[in-house]
Amino acid sequence: MGLISGSGSFTRYLTDGALPENFMEGLSEKIARYAFRNLDEKSIDERSVGWVNVMDMFDSRFAALEFLKEPYITMSLRVDERKIPATALKQYCLEAEEKIKKDENLEYLPKNRRSDIKDGVRLRLLKRAIPVSRCYDMIWNYSTGLIIFGSTTNRLCDKFVEFFLQTFDIQLQAICPYTLASRVIEKEGSSPDLLDGLGPSNSSGEK
Amino acid sequence: MQLLDKVRKTKFLGTDFLAWLWFRAETGRGLFDMGGKGTAELWFDGKITLQSERERGVETITCAGEASNMREARFALAEDKEIIQATVKLVLGDNQWSFVLDSTWMNFSTFKSPKVMQDRGEDPDGIFYEKMFLIEEAVSAMDEIYYSFIKLRVSPEWADQERPALVKWISEGKYSIAD
Repeated sequence: MGLISGSGSFTRYLTDGALPENFMEGLSEKIARYAFRNLDEKSIDERSVGWVNVMDMFDSRFAALEFLKEPYITMSLRVDERKIPATALKQYCLEAEEKIKKDENLEYLPKNRRSDIKDGVRLRLLKRAIPVSRCYDMIWNYSTGLIIFGSTTNRLCDKFVEFFLQTFDIQLQAICPYTLASRVIEKEGSSPDLLDGLGPSNSSGEK
Repeated sequence: MQLLDKVRKTKFLGTDFLAWLWFRAETGRGLFDMGGKGTAELWFDGKITLQSERERGVETITCAGEASNMREARFALAEDKEIIQATVKLVLGDNQWSFVLDSTWMNFSTFKSPKVMQDRGEDPDGIFYEKMFLIEEAVSAMDEIYYSFIKLRVSPEWADQERPALVKWISEGKYSIAD
């Protein structure tokens, strides 16, 4: 369940610098280039990542510019992954090794041979694995530059920042206590350097 | 100093903010002026996670329960542990939100906003805008509260009044277990 359709977790970002004036031009093409594509059943790709309609995870065409809800650009980052359970992989590998040993009348299989068997089994099982889909909402208020991404997992957030940069050619800056504090200090007409002199309030050396 | 260094060196701003929020809520000062938007009320309710970094490594404790029963968490805070996550209840007007606020990135987990009453089939965009309004209202209220904390933190009032009161309140936690 995404952030828009239910409850959830989110991390906030700001776009680094002002948006170019012609930013809206070619937006559809940029999004289409990185829209979600289903994993091909015959392929051995483990993962597919792309943008889908925030209100419908099966729509990645955005035929009616569904990503544009002024002043927001909103989509979900859909991540489909095929995973083989570790126990199943081990079991099928053992079975394959036993069969080869029997067929070739061998007592022992060298390490590189076992590694080849494992790769082969993995690829065979990957084709049978059903992908698991997950969606993470992204809401970008392009008038304020604030972006909300529906996850707090570091690995996923890093992937999101990278994917956002690929799609829009815009670098994101994660919001943290320091960035928020410097914003308000600057708004008050002072330099953020004022924060450099602070220390934890429960320590004896605090200013 | 590079931005990342500054972020690392000022990470106490987040943990201090959570301690200050708890202190304000527990000492009857959990009301915050939101300018033209009225008054926000805030309190800790649910889980609090505290952490300390010592030579032996990182120690983390999590306490769950009602705010009045958070004696172990108060004790841990008095023992120099820092609050890294807290479940916060926020009330603004007729609306109430619940979320876990994190000290490192100021992100929101298990964020629950008031229910959106519109019919998804009739007006999907209406649901989106209403939900966004509710998310942004809570986020901007928390930012406003954080801004008031920062303004206080760099003012002379911090050293003169607020910090001594906060440190006193924190140290009182040492005796909370014995009560």
